[in-house]
Amino acid sequence: MKKNIIILGGGQAGIYAAREIRQNDSESNIKILGEENLLPYERPPLSKDFLLDKKNEDDLYFHSIEVIKNENIDFENVLINKVDFEHKKLFSKNEDVYTYDSLLISTGSDNKRLSLDNNLSDDVYYLRNLEEAKIIKEKVSDKNKITIIGGGFIGLEIASSLSQLQKKVTVIEIGNQLMGRIIPKQIADLVQNTHIEQGNEIILNKQIDKIIKKNGIYEILLNDNSIIETDFVIAGIGSTPSVKLFENTNLKLDNGILTNQFCETSIKDVYAAGDVCNFYHPFYERNMRLESYQHAQNHGICAGKNIAGVKTEYTSIPWMWSDQFNLNLQLTGICDDYDEIIARGNDINNGVIYFFLKNKIIKGACGLGIAGKVGRDIRITSKLTEKNTIVDKQILSDQNQKLNKLIQKQ
Amino acid sequence: MSEENWIEVGSTDSIEEEDLIRFDHQDKTFCVYRLTDGFYATDGICTHEAVHLEDGLVMDDEIECPMHQGIFNIKSGEALSPPACEDLKTYPVKVDNDKIFIKID
Ligand SMILES: Cc1cc2nc3c(=O)[nH]c(=O)nc-3n(C[C@H](O)[C@H](O)[C@H](O)COP(=O)(O)OP(=O)(O)OC[C@H]3O[C@@H](n4cnc5c(N)ncnc54)[C@H](O)[C@@H]3O)c2cc1C
Ligand code: FES
Repeated sequence: MKKNIIILGGGQAGIYAAREIRQNDSESNIKILGEENLLPYERPPLSKDFLLDKKNEDDLYFHSIEVIKNENIDFENVLINKVDFEHKKLFSKNEDVYTYDSLLISTGSDNKRLSLDNNLSDDVYYLRNLEEAKIIKEKVSDKNKITIIGGGFIGLEIASSLSQLQKKVTVIEIGNQLMGRIIPKQIADLVQNTHIEQGNEIILNKQIDKIIKKNGIYEILLNDNSIIETDFVIAGIGSTPSVKLFENTNLKLDNGILTNQFCETSIKDVYAAGDVCNFYHPFYERNMRLESYQHAQNHGICAGKNIAGVKTEYTSIPWMWSDQFNLNLQLTGICDDYDEIIARGNDINNGVIYFFLKNKIIKGACGLGIAGKVGRDIRITSKLTEKNTIVDKQILSDQNQKLNKLIQKQ
Repeated sequence: MSEENWIEVGSTDSIEEEDLIRFDHQDKTFCVYRLTDGFYATDGICTHEAVHLEDGLVMDDEIECPMHQGIFNIKSGEALSPPACEDLKTYPVKVDNDKIFIKID
């Protein structure tokens, strides 16, 4: 049956869903509605190679307009600001109406904003999209001292890039370690050492009390009464799912849109995928929200299949990376539910990995190494996790023994 | 085909099945693979960013980049999974007297 399928949000999950629907359904109308006047593009380079001028705008797009047109996928640049789930309608600011039979919500996430009690809100910059990356790149070009509020992935990646552009960078983090919410302290400390070796200043356990502007220079007052002087302020203090639009509807929300393992929301014919979802993961038997490239792609594809009527469970083992200086950090599975930790290696030149086990099965792992040094082992770890393999701890902890032995042993 | 372009990589037993070795020649790096049906060779550096594929995982006919899990077909060099989107260059391989040779142009 020919349907009207609307994808709200033209990011990574949205485009992968659209193409997957088309693979399974040649008839239906597929329309992506996106607030950004850009074809879907990759965000990871925004804090890295785009700032460093190693990649330009054209390198970021997932697909050319020809590919998208050839597959008969419509892309419209519009901001949706009202939804009526009962009548299956979406409304734009100019009151254009879009009617759907099936809807995919892939609105991504929004950056959290600092609440400043003076009028300096516009003086603090954030990074989520290409427009903001362009502005930051342009504005920092004649600045020297840059302060980044928040020591999470995005803040640290920006710190790494700006340091490589010879800026004097200070990172202020409220917690007692970098990337605190998800990364083991041992790995966070290794990342911190590299930032310090490269000349970045890292301040932990400090909160911002106030920001004052004097003669074009900012003074950041910390809660221990110290003052950081800086030319430019960027904040990367986390993000929230983009769900404002649905707050007064009967769509079930709880740290994102709640979905089951088939990307279905609490409302019939409404699906969600990507950063915006708090989805049920059947393997871990719990809900989770992920902000990662691989997840956005795979979750989008899974939603696409389900929308096209190919019932498919989402079972991907989570995986994400962060690149800072010449380091590549990777995280697979979940690292917050374990009864044992095993370390492999102690030198970032060969890679360092911490495995998190429960009942002798690896539930997650976090690794750090120069370039791709931990990639293969992390990938094998995902496979071991997925197959619930009981692992030989001696092999795990001995870097001289290849991990594929554990796979072959089954 | 001129004979001198065939460069010796090493002996066939220097690569385990479903595995690869890195081979450096002049300024270039290559990866030489042993798959179930023979030996293959590609460029040794990912087309996405400058990372050595020697640290990647070989699965069936594919090599997965260790940095961002971009995937390439080893036999054709085709980029199969993002963020890799540019194909990997492949090279002819021959085995002579248990020695592996690759043809570099
Ligand atoms: C700077 C940066 C660096 C990153 N680096 C990495 C990395 O190194 N590794 C990694 O694994 N992940 C990384 N990520 C995360 C990854 O990019 C995201 O998880 C991924 O983009 C999520 O895809 P999505 O489709 O869910 O959302 P998005 O790609 O954010 O797309 C959502 C789209 O919906 C649009 N939208 C929202 N509301 C509306 C509306 N009402 N009407 C119309 N359109 C709307 C938005 O404008 C946006 O274009 C990074 C993210 C950022 C921002
Ligand atoms: S460097 Fe190989 S996929 Fe990114």
